[in-house]
Amino acid sequence: MITRVQDMQQLLGAMDLFRNQMNSVFNAFDRNHGIGQGWTSTPSYPRTNLDDTGDNLVLVAEVPGVCKEDLQVKIQGNYLQIGGTRKPDNPEGYKVHRTERESASFSRSFTLPYEVDAAKVEATLKDGLLKMTLPKSESAKPRQIVIR
Amino acid sequence: MSDNELVTRTEQPGELIHQLPVTTPAVDIFENEAEILLHADMPGVGKNDISISIDNGKMILAGTRRLQAIGSTAWQELGDVEFRRTFAVPQSIDVDKVHAELKDGVLHLHLPKSEAAKPRQIEIVAG
Repeated sequence: MITRVQDMQQLLGAMDLFRNQMNSVFNAFDRNHGIGQGWTSTPSYPRTNLDDTGDNLVLVAEVPGVCKEDLQVKIQGNYLQIGGTRKPDNPEGYKVHRTERESASFSRSFTLPYEVDAAKVEATLKDGLLKMTLPKSESAKPRQIVIR
Repeated sequence: MSDNELVTRTEQPGELIHQLPVTTPAVDIFENEAEILLHADMPGVGKNDISISIDNGKMILAGTRRLQAIGSTAWQELGDVEFRRTFAVPQSIDVDKVHAELKDGVLHLHLPKSEAAKPRQIEIVAG
């Protein structure tokens, strides 16, 4: 039975290869298919990951070319909003051949699965990824109940 | 016989196929008299994970992003990915002077033109 599972994995791996091959075909035709992975639809911007580490929620957002002064984060209870502006970085005195990188302001809001303690949130911006560590509020943390 | 073979077949190391999804980074391309300037979005790629190779008029720009998995996932929209794109570069580029900087997940790649390719003002001397 183990062999069967491995066969399935191989099949899926082969499909990954096929997808990459198809993507490179699109590239060969100079078709920019956005920031998504190939032919999947473009999700809302910025794209994010949310992880739960027990005491904290960790949110990672993809914001290339946005400096920290241009980012705003609002938190209230379990509501989180990321807004910002991506300013055009066109250099002076250059002729433009191609612009695929859009510059615009954006805003995205989330309902987090737990209420978070807004005062203890830590946010760092590195290599175009915004990482926020959101500690769950005391009422949302798991609690040991003593049975009398 | 054949059923038996299916069950006892051992895994070959070469059969493990895993590849990062490859995606094209969005780029802006600018040009002035001195150089061609390329801006590419590569969020989450460290400067040690970027490779730029120029060979025979072809430039391959590649960068790998590996995110650390932390805790259990509530939702995931971005993952490990390889950014890769191939460009045709003119022969007039001075390959030795190509340099790049990385800021906020955006790669700024400078491709200076060689001296011979720069426009030159020719002065006409009265004879």
